[in-house]
Amino acid sequence: MSLLYFVVLPLLASFLTPFFKDYLKYISVAINLTLLVLALSFINTPPITENISFDSPLSISFVLDSASLFFITLFLIIMTLFSLYNLKEKSTKEMFILTNMLLASVSGLVLSGDIFNIYIFFEIASITAYILTSLGRDKQAYSGAIRYMIMGAIASIFLLIAIMSIYLNIGSLNLITIGQEFATIDSNVQFLILLSLFIGFGIKAEIFPLNFWVVDIYQASGTKINALFSAVLSKAYIFVFFHIAYILGIDGGFLGFLAIMGALSFAVAELSALSSKNLKRVFAYSTLGQIGVLFIALSSHSVVAVSGAIFLIAMHSIGKLMLFLSLDILEQKFKSTNVVIFKQFGSLFLMIIFTIGFLSLLGLPPFGGFIAKLTILKGLASSGAYLLIGVILLISLVEAVYFFRLLGSRTDKENRETIDIPLFQKALLALMAMVILYNGIFPDMLLEFCENVATTLIGGNHV
Amino acid sequence: MLDSFNQTPFLHGVITMGSFLLLTIGLVGALSKKNLFKIFLSFAIAEASLFIYFIGMHFEVGKVAPILSDEVTTFSSNMVDPVPQAMILTTIVIAIAILALALSFIINYFKLTNNLRIDEMNELGEER
Repeated sequence: MSLLYFVVLPLLASFLTPFFKDYLKYISVAINLTLLVLALSFINTPPITENISFDSPLSISFVLDSASLFFITLFLIIMTLFSLYNLKEKSTKEMFILTNMLLASVSGLVLSGDIFNIYIFFEIASITAYILTSLGRDKQAYSGAIRYMIMGAIASIFLLIAIMSIYLNIGSLNLITIGQEFATIDSNVQFLILLSLFIGFGIKAEIFPLNFWVVDIYQASGTKINALFSAVLSKAYIFVFFHIAYILGIDGGFLGFLAIMGALSFAVAELSALSSKNLKRVFAYSTLGQIGVLFIALSSHSVVAVSGAIFLIAMHSIGKLMLFLSLDILEQKFKSTNVVIFKQFGSLFLMIIFTIGFLSLLGLPPFGGFIAKLTILKGLASSGAYLLIGVILLISLVEAVYFFRLLGSRTDKENRETIDIPLFQKALLALMAMVILYNGIFPDMLLEFCENVATTLIGGNHV
Repeated sequence: MLDSFNQTPFLHGVITMGSFLLLTIGLVGALSKKNLFKIFLSFAIAEASLFIYFIGMHFEVGKVAPILSDEVTTFSSNMVDPVPQAMILTTIVIAIAILALALSFIINYFKLTNNLRIDEMNELGEER
């Protein structure tokens, strides 16, 4: 089977939207499930490189190894859950087109073995995200979309500078060739390329100090859209950034810089979350914090810590999807996302879902987030980065403060309003919670897979 | 005497300086202007500078464009590198699409708020 299907099928579906009329929701589920089955059929196959049109190095190449397969599968699982959840909601043409474009672009991002293709998919994903932000069609939405576009323009300019410097000095756009030749070029140019890549991808991957705009975007866009941003989009950018970084064979200095930025990101985000009065913003800050932890772990160059990070990516994606979808239920009921609504809903089911989500984010047993953070800390300890361990533990306390404050605000039992949730959506949310719980109690299977992914990612040259 | 101007290193120098100047104009404009239209036009200028630089650095005196026509039927060493040109064409298309999208957002935003200044965009932020 060709790897092109991962990109072509969703794009084709978006083009054919007018013919689907009232069946958009079902088509969306069908496409996601088909691609998920396709992705699962690639498990246990050796790495595949597929060249399109010409022979390497002139061709456009797609590479499927265990790292890109993991991310494709994760994104497809998220998109499948999301489209299943949407079966019970009002569906619009825009949502159908944009979610399909998002899927096509993130699949392209993780599969591309060619840096210019990465740029193109980067832009497609950005355009999709801009329009998704503006879907609310009110002044908040447009204000957010315009801010997003300004940051996106800066990101794409710096990414272009990086790509051009690479081509001018190496004469190739193929990632493998670039990886082999990168060490031979002038160290000042290397620094320029790495810095431009950091600014270009850092803005999109939401890392400190380039993430001051993110929370506003989350506030401007719809709550369900936030789930996609948090669970799919930022993860794709983080993977591509570290994929390129490890292929270029970056040295300890740059990795240390990334780890410090991750630690700062974690600290600033969690401290800002303390004073936030809007649940959307609180969850957005929490996403930024987790991205900080991911940067710390991914830049540690130790297989154990990186596999912990991959585990955290899976748990955080599913957890944030669950939390944002539950928040969407609350928002539809109360027409607001102020923290006050957290006291007012009367639904034991949602309360359990929120509690599981929070505890997993905090990294408490027996949930998936615990295994992830434990593995990361083990990896950091084995490479002697005790300061970073201290930072992670200390800031996790701050994280605990606002999550437990939210849970604690439920003690007042008066003025509760009951919420009716369709059984199907309940089942889906429960499924996500079960996945988090299952991987917290029996982590071995996923952890083993994560180690494969980490070895591939750190190894850089995958084929 | 004019021949000395028609040398590859000299032209590369001119292109480098010119595009660097253009990039500076674009980025400074994007950071200092308050009008939303002007900000996006500044980004367009900054991107144009990159296009000029990348195409220009692969131009060499005496070489022809990498286009196959009636008389030229095979790629030869007499042609400049075709990859940057294909790349920049793609990038220009993307840049125009993004600029058009940005303008449509700005127009819609203006219709709703009657505001075009970035420092007066205060819809988002912490609730008070």
